[in-house]
Amino acid sequence: MTRQTLLGLGFLSPALLAVMMFFLLPVVLTVVFAFTNMSTSTGILGGEYQISESDLRRLPAVGVGEDAVALLAGAGYAVQPETLALFAAEFGEDRAAELDKLHGGAKFDDQRAMERALKELRRNPLRKVRDRKTAADLFRVSILGQRFATRDDFALAITDLGVPERDRLALTEAAYTGWTFTTQNFELLWELPATWRYALNSVIYVVLTLGFNVGFGLFLALSTFYLPSRTAQTFRAIWFLPRILPPVLYVLMWQWLTWDQGFISAMLRPFGIEPINWMRHTATHAWTFIVLINGCVGASLGMILFSSSLRAIPETQLFAAQVDGANRWQQVRHVLLPQMRWPILFITSYQTLSLLTSFEYILLATDGGPGRQTEVWALAAYHTALSNYGGNLEYGLGAAYALALVIIGILLSALYLRFFKFSELVAKPRIEQ
Amino acid sequence: MRIELQNFTKRFGDTTVIEDMSLSVASGEMIALLGPSGCGKSTTLFAISGIHRIDGGTLHFGDRDVTRLPPQDRPVGVVFQNYALYPHMSVADNIGFPLRVQNLKPAEIKRRVGEMAELVQIGNLLARKPQQLSGGQQQRVALARALVRKPDVLLLDEPLANLDAKLRLEMRSEIRRLQRETGITAILVTHDQIEAMSMCDRIALMKDGRIEQISTPGDMYERPASRYVAGFLGNPPISFLRAEAKGQLTIGADNALPLPHGTAARGPITLGVRPEHFGPQHRGPSIAGQVSFIEPQGREDLIDVTLPCDQRLRAIVPAGHDIALGQPVTWQVDLSRVHLFDAEGARL
Repeated sequence: MTRQTLLGLGFLSPALLAVMMFFLLPVVLTVVFAFTNMSTSTGILGGEYQISESDLRRLPAVGVGEDAVALLAGAGYAVQPETLALFAAEFGEDRAAELDKLHGGAKFDDQRAMERALKELRRNPLRKVRDRKTAADLFRVSILGQRFATRDDFALAITDLGVPERDRLALTEAAYTGWTFTTQNFELLWELPATWRYALNSVIYVVLTLGFNVGFGLFLALSTFYLPSRTAQTFRAIWFLPRILPPVLYVLMWQWLTWDQGFISAMLRPFGIEPINWMRHTATHAWTFIVLINGCVGASLGMILFSSSLRAIPETQLFAAQVDGANRWQQVRHVLLPQMRWPILFITSYQTLSLLTSFEYILLATDGGPGRQTEVWALAAYHTALSNYGGNLEYGLGAAYALALVIIGILLSALYLRFFKFSELVAKPRIEQ
Repeated sequence: MRIELQNFTKRFGDTTVIEDMSLSVASGEMIALLGPSGCGKSTTLFAISGIHRIDGGTLHFGDRDVTRLPPQDRPVGVVFQNYALYPHMSVADNIGFPLRVQNLKPAEIKRRVGEMAELVQIGNLLARKPQQLSGGQQQRVALARALVRKPDVLLLDEPLANLDAKLRLEMRSEIRRLQRETGITAILVTHDQIEAMSMCDRIALMKDGRIEQISTPGDMYERPASRYVAGFLGNPPISFLRAEAKGQLTIGADNALPLPHGTAARGPITLGVRPEHFGPQHRGPSIAGQVSFIEPQGREDLIDVTLPCDQRLRAIVPAGHDIALGQPVTWQVDLSRVHLFDAEGARL
């Protein structure tokens, strides 16, 4: 390794680090998360071991024997030497001795029965209800609802309970409350009708917005191309505003324009048109405004790129076209547009990729509404994983959504790079190696 | 087709580039607009083609007033300095473009493109793209494209400027041949006097947006209307000497020539002597000086002679002489061919 290579790597290292941290790592984590059932309820660190009353019903399905389930379900409280010792330490030897005499070896199904038994103490009665409840807890031998921090604690507890050896493994796994690796996210995505709806929405969104971006960008570039340069620059600057504005402010202005007491409604009221929320009234309304909101931002990029590529076309070619008898439209159609093939292709491919993953303007404008009719794939990923009405954030499922986008994105980029012959577009360094 | 440009004025913003210029070109004539860069020759050409609007004056093609016509409607063909070929079209499509925008039938376009390609001798290159052609071939394509519409006027904007010396020579005669064969009225814009003189019937020499002199190449060379014209034409250029016209023409303290016929004594003037009219091989009155520079050219040598008054004359001397640097010489001037200009530069 020569000094120059080292120097090169040295210069590259900040960029490499950034790529690792902000691109590779998230992608790897997305892949990992996509294969887990991670959610708010499982947490993202480890879990605990717990069998609750409601778990009992699903236990036979995961391979726990009926008798083991009966063991877990039955006999919650027992008066036996271990529990009596606990009781004695808390409430005195005399009471323990009396209870042992009354109910030694007895088992009670629930807490109330246990408390009733404690009420029978005569010599030194437990008068307070609270004391009896506390005392009843000491006789508890069932593990239902109890949390065990480690696998070993839980194993010990079920062994004590007498769960047969063959059921222990299945029961331990069923009792785990943390996340596990699974492929169920992908099965779920495949099966849910909503998934297909989101995919279709994404296609609608990308196709319409892209069409608007490229078409309108071209229109702006061509129309400003024929304007005097000062006017053209002013015009371009105005069309660039949506891109410079903070998205929240920009969408807020659209909201103000479209809500039922907003500008459009106010303007139309004198004509007898009922005020409605123009952005959210129907799916068509919503799509129209989503395309407009995104398109006005996206079109400016196309406009700038197309304008500069137009200006790279020598003026004399236009002069030549004029004396060759071509009118404006023929100049555009036969001379200008064919020479803009690459910028148009570039904008198309670049914006396909960025639109596929972008959802911020939709989030701010309709949040996927009305209903879920403008919920695109990326927004669904966000809603599932990070902002969900039910409150149970399903990180795993969200990551599975995102992973689909990552895969599509990588495939498309590879295709584009091949298609554009990227290696030919990048000039060799001018400095001698 | 006669071209009549009258009182033509062109402004760019607040700058008046050309004011009140008139030019008429006879039908079938090829005329050169010659001048240094920035003199307004290309502007005039673009105004005639319609690419630039005319701010004042009128333009007639024959009897037709085309002053306000857009370039699309003027019967002109233009060849641009960088050829302005459409890079995405094949040679055939480039040549056929003026016909295509008229929505002619493809078969008709093909036939006429073929004819035109034969005329400019590029029939074998029709499928190529412009960037696959040499400069001379691109030039021919540009000519074919300009002529395919059968225009009445051919405008050439520095057509040879981007070619190397050998091709330039070839294309010079090629363009002239085409112009003669088609009988088209042509205007050539150039800054190269040799191009102008060798290709055109007449030359309009321009300076600062005005036509300084308009004449045939020979006449302009023999009888330049001003010092500027005399200095512009001729290679190697004419030498100018400050002189005093009294009883005789005194140059400095040591040299004097008899006054040419018809010249009055009038004080300080400029004497212009072309290098081919001064040297040991001529007859006439002589001028003495010292050889200060010798530039061999093969067939002949260029020799600078510095006079005692520190002015310089250049001579063309046939090779085979034994003149050495620093040698004092007394050489003859062909007095009938010298030019005299007054203090303002006008011909006497």
